[in-house]
Amino acid sequence: MRTSTRRGASRRVMAAAAVALAVVAGSVVTTATAIAQPDHSRAKNVIYLVGDGMGRTHVDAARQRYYGAAGKLVMETLPTVGQVTTYAVQKTSGQPGEADFVPEYVTDSASSATAWSSGVKTYNAALGVDAKGEVVPTLMELAKKAGYRTGNVSTAEITDATPAGQMSHALARGCQGPTYSAAACQDLAVTGEALPTDDVRVTPIADQIARNGTADVVLGGGLARFDAADEEALAAQGYEVLGSPADQAVATRDDLDDADGRKVFGLFNRGNLTIEKFKRENPNAVQAAEPSVAEMTSKAIDLLRNNKKGFYLQVEGALIDKRSHANDAAQTLEEMKAFDEAVRVALNFAKKDGNTTVIVTADHECAGFNIIGKGSYTNAEAVTPPGNVDAGNTANNSAPSRAASGALDGTRSTGPVNGSGSGNSGNFAPATFATPDDPEGVEDGSPEASLWLTYLSGNHTGAAVPVFAYGPGTRDLADTVDNTDLFDVVGHALRVVR
Amino acid sequence: MSVRAVVLSVAALLVAGAVGVGATLLVRGAGPGAEQVPDPASAARTAFPGLTAPTGDPELPGLATARPRPGTVAVVEGPFDDRLDLSGLRLAGNGVTGTVTVTSDVSELIELQVLAGFYDADGKLLGTGRFTHHAGEEDHGHTGPPSEEESFEVAVPDDLGGTVAAAAVGVPVLVNE
Repeated sequence: MRTSTRRGASRRVMAAAAVALAVVAGSVVTTATAIAQPDHSRAKNVIYLVGDGMGRTHVDAARQRYYGAAGKLVMETLPTVGQVTTYAVQKTSGQPGEADFVPEYVTDSASSATAWSSGVKTYNAALGVDAKGEVVPTLMELAKKAGYRTGNVSTAEITDATPAGQMSHALARGCQGPTYSAAACQDLAVTGEALPTDDVRVTPIADQIARNGTADVVLGGGLARFDAADEEALAAQGYEVLGSPADQAVATRDDLDDADGRKVFGLFNRGNLTIEKFKRENPNAVQAAEPSVAEMTSKAIDLLRNNKKGFYLQVEGALIDKRSHANDAAQTLEEMKAFDEAVRVALNFAKKDGNTTVIVTADHECAGFNIIGKGSYTNAEAVTPPGNVDAGNTANNSAPSRAASGALDGTRSTGPVNGSGSGNSGNFAPATFATPDDPEGVEDGSPEASLWLTYLSGNHTGAAVPVFAYGPGTRDLADTVDNTDLFDVVGHALRVVR
Repeated sequence: MSVRAVVLSVAALLVAGAVGVGATLLVRGAGPGAEQVPDPASAARTAFPGLTAPTGDPELPGLATARPRPGTVAVVEGPFDDRLDLSGLRLAGNGVTGTVTVTSDVSELIELQVLAGFYDADGKLLGTGRFTHHAGEEDHGHTGPPSEEESFEVAVPDDLGGTVAAAAVGVPVLVNE
């Protein structure tokens, strides 16, 4: 009996032990399962592409121009689509929600770059500092510190606002170098008094980029900003320098093809890179040896990809904005196409890799680019704005009332500006382009071409910009978000922000 | 196996399991973003040992060697000469005037500085003056259209009055978007 009892107790203990073992084993299995489950918000790599000045209509116009009304740009095939608000703030403003918050509705590239790079609103011209002038860390700096490899690619000078927003801290975007000047670098309205010249915020951006090692791969333009001392500083950090800042010898596509360093610095023009239209029409020109933004993107990915932790790459198609400022639709459209080819490179890599996030967006819209009906005209070409009188229902009238309609003004509009009206530099008329939807033989610049494009101005506008995304951590972008939210999306995808 | 031994084994397993789970939680962190997040306070590099801090506005070495003939305005070399033209240079009583035409892509002229040297009749450099364009001042922000031309005037410094016979100009600062 006793033995029986002991055996019974023993069995209960054994049974309890079995249960306990099962529980522990279950916990281990559960934990192991939890570890094995993919974290869908976490990306190994993030490729962030910025079409500078690319508003929604830039996307629409480029689609219609190259693929027709029913086609799609590569960026439009990304599954997550949203829009991004872009406003800036005035100098010394607080952040949204704070008592001293003072918005500025139209941003520049510097303020916008700081918004997504550092997650704060700042004033136009500021880079890597908030509106009170305090240094704020950038995503690329955080990624670098966390062990990611980093890259920064642009068709602008690499010291220009969009690339510089990730790898510099400056009170004024004009403080680019090669030399310091008080007017270009100081901002007494923000700091009250001049900062010592060894303060990073007044250190020329080229000097910062050449010495802070924030980006492992730096590709773009702007060689004239760098000098022999910069080349020495780059070499001392282990950069493979293509071309030579000391000799002001620009790098070439061949140099880029041959590059294989873990750190690569290559600038292909003393200023901004050359527009694709010129290179296409002048294949023997020296500028044709400059790589395209797609080629630079592809090479940057190749140079960065072999890293267990992953990489963070920013790519800018800068000339969309610059040619939009000039109201040059033909060049703008070709730059849109070139940028979209860089998106193709990034997306193809992401699909093959399986754990790469691709985000395509813009910093702001430029020039009020728009599509108008074939054969119609804009207010700028009209005698007056449209009439604003509804005799049948006066409730529809408002002030000011305009009885006359905005008839075409022959002295301001002599036809499509890149066609029959191109001889008139004062002409506000639209630029027209043939599309794949047009019959064969229809030419650009003719009234028969179906795509009619116009501009509101030569400057930035306050319109929201599109965002397209693919990969882990991008679900929140299927919404209207602010440009500072992009900092959080990328930061969480890379696990570099809390 | 004795009951005591079994109980001890179970207890050991439970402790080991708990430690394992705890360790796993520590590694995974308490929530999104807790994994190996770098310290933002030390992420930005703000000091550059070896970089000499500038002591003033930029100079152009060519001003020291230029020997403009009396009544003329010479042009000295600057880092951005391939993206601008200087025209209409004229030495008047109170200073030197002219026009900078930016020949590269201009969506906004952000920074421009013209540095002028003033010389006596023997070609000796007496002093310098500057013209500065800074975006955001003088309605040079986003309020107007892009402009490729900028007229400038650099006044003769007060202490050089009456002794200036020639001038030379160059452009040490140019930022155009």
